[in-house]
Amino acid sequence: MAEWLRLILFALLLIAGLIIQLTAVLGVNRFHYVLNRVHAAGMGDTLGLMLLCLAAIVYAGADWIVLKIVLIVAFFWLTSPVCSHLLGRLVQETDEKFSSEAKLWKS
Amino acid sequence: MKKKADPFRALKSWIENGDDALDLEIQEEMDDEATPALTEEAGRKREKKKRDPVRARRRLEGGYAVAAVLVCLALIGALVYAALQLPAFGGADTLVDSEVSAFYVENTLKETGAVNIVTGIILDYRGFDTLGESHVLFIAVCTVLLLLSIRGDKNADRIAREEAFDRHFEPRDDEVLQGAARILTPLVLVFGLYIIANGHLSPGGGFSGGAILGAGLILYQNAFGYRKTERFFTYRTFKWVSLASLLFYSLAKGYHFFTGANHLENGISPGTAGNILSGGLLLPLNFVVGCVVACTMYALYTMFRKGDF
Repeated sequence: MAEWLRLILFALLLIAGLIIQLTAVLGVNRFHYVLNRVHAAGMGDTLGLMLLCLAAIVYAGADWIVLKIVLIVAFFWLTSPVCSHLLGRLVQETDEKFSSEAKLWKS
Repeated sequence: MKKKADPFRALKSWIENGDDALDLEIQEEMDDEATPALTEEAGRKREKKKRDPVRARRRLEGGYAVAAVLVCLALIGALVYAALQLPAFGGADTLVDSEVSAFYVENTLKETGAVNIVTGIILDYRGFDTLGESHVLFIAVCTVLLLLSIRGDKNADRIAREEAFDRHFEPRDDEVLQGAARILTPLVLVFGLYIIANGHLSPGGGFSGGAILGAGLILYQNAFGYRKTERFFTYRTFKWVSLASLLFYSLAKGYHFFTGANHLENGISPGTAGNILSGGLLLPLNFVVGCVVACTMYALYTMFRKGDF
């Protein structure tokens, strides 16, 4: 029974992760403005990757490899948002059509 | 107009100042043309001279293109000829497929002390090839330095322009990037060192570890800028580390290359397989290759970004 539950959990996480990744790929290819694309790509790198890695953790069970998978997620969560942030700042500073495409909130 | 139809002069001006300068020169000459205070004969003479720098440059470029095509064709011919002489790929009776691989699989651990057979092959049996690869990297970075470096440039304008243009559009001193780099850089550098140090035990080695080290340096430089990076990595560091690494490699292995040994014995015992300090020369060689690769990566980045360290 427990094995079946684990399998179902694994499958659900895997499918959820794949759906997120699919959304990210579609978004990167279908959106037209840079920031929308960055948003889509960032989602795949964080949420999608986390779900897939959780699926891998459930599949692996109690094993040292879990630590490595957690490290992968930590690394991506540290780097991918920074990357998106830098891309966004670059767009905001260099794109001439920025004001017609997006609105900058003054803090 | 004292300008002469000297192709070298045109080339020199083109190399030093780019297309703009040449266009400027032509423009100047065209401006001169407009001054009417000249006899017709002198004018005709001048007209003949006037075109010359342009024509010389065209001739030079044409000659260069023809020479390039010829050299490429000769190289292609030589390579194809050599490739035709090679034994058939995957044939049962070719030595490479039947005996050499089996020999490596059987003897690498015993002879070199490397658990990772690939490292044993590339740094021991085929150490000469790896020495060449390190030098290829070094030559590549030398060429880029020649072309892009603004160090010691006599043209003060160019230096000022590069300094001003450096990351003109890019976010400078980004706090988010700095925060991430503060956490990531040490981890990345340690990971690179780990991969280099375990090159003879696990997948990895000098090239991959060096690339990670270089990436760590680039990340730090990106986040904190030139001033902070200069505290530990300058042009002098690059120069001496590259030189020392390549010299060490050449000296440590050079003797064997010339004596033509199969297994390049070094007199150091391979040690206990599986320990970090084993495999004789493999560990120091991995380190020097890693140093060369890291320096090359970082130098290429700085050259393309600004042209100076």
